[in-house]
Amino acid sequence: MPEVRDAIERATSALDALARSGESVEDEWQYVTDLHAVWRARLVEVAAARGAAALDPAALEAVERASAETRAIDDPHRAIDWLSTFPQLVLLAVGEPL
Amino acid sequence: MRFQDAARDARAVVYAGIQDDPVVARAAELLATASVAQRVLARAVMNGESGDGAAWRAMFPSLLANGAGDADRELSEAILAVSLDVAGRGEQARSQYRGAIVEALTERLLARRVPPAAVHRERRILFDGVRAEIHPYDVTVELRDRAEAYDCKWGARGINAEVLLQLDLARRNAEQEGVRLLPALVVFDARRSCRVRLARMAPTPGVRLVALESLDALAGARAAGTVAPVAARPEV
Repeated sequence: MPEVRDAIERATSALDALARSGESVEDEWQYVTDLHAVWRARLVEVAAARGAAALDPAALEAVERASAETRAIDDPHRAIDWLSTFPQLVLLAVGEPL
Repeated sequence: MRFQDAARDARAVVYAGIQDDPVVARAAELLATASVAQRVLARAVMNGESGDGAAWRAMFPSLLANGAGDADRELSEAILAVSLDVAGRGEQARSQYRGAIVEALTERLLARRVPPAAVHRERRILFDGVRAEIHPYDVTVELRDRAEAYDCKWGARGINAEVLLQLDLARRNAEQEGVRLLPALVVFDARRSCRVRLARMAPTPGVRLVALESLDALAGARAAGTVAPVAARPEV
């Protein structure tokens, strides 16, 4: 049975990649950096609190599919949109409030 | 203080065509009764790359898998369908559709709290002796004793200093005329992202923030999150 930390590990990796892409939009560098830091901290907080808890395999698949969706994004502006949207999706998948 | 329909320039005429597209009304109607999770689904799909419904069903199992309740699942499927429709219209068009959907959703939610005839779209607010702002407000509530002005954004990234300034200025001008005007930003994005965006802008405590989690507050319902002043301390 997967654990919550498995989903969070995959999610933070995908989130980091989105931030790297979004950072190339110079005018939004600060926003991207802040947004990344805040959402990453929220995900890490979930792992710290419930990391060892069992996770429905469907929830892990949800995070993996969403991570794959983020990898399909090659426009840095779209990456910035997803830097906010993706963690919301992950939190829903693992049963956490936004 | 008085209200006036915005002038119909070329941009407004094109945008009006989008606002009148039935898919906008359909999306707004569905999202007006949606849960926070279902609104996140709409946001993800309309922002997303994949046009494959099966992929989204896998990403939102609590909403779209067999285990979900029938009524909720039916609504989630309808939201998925309309969101895919919008997402499939290409990057530039869907950006405009998304904005129009947030406006239409705001209008519908407000019409549950105040008489629908008091809710207006694309209105300018005029004050005696003050030069009128060029940009109209997306949605206004115009009542005998008070008014509300809303600027609607699809994402937190759309929040900018000019919008905040215009909203706050309207509030202050109304105050000078002895009228109560409540200005607010409606953002179809998580409060956390909105606060990140607002954290590096000048505080405008008179302007309220209605984020994705608290949209139902527009209708007068108690939401999971409260409607907060935009000056609320950032989380960065």
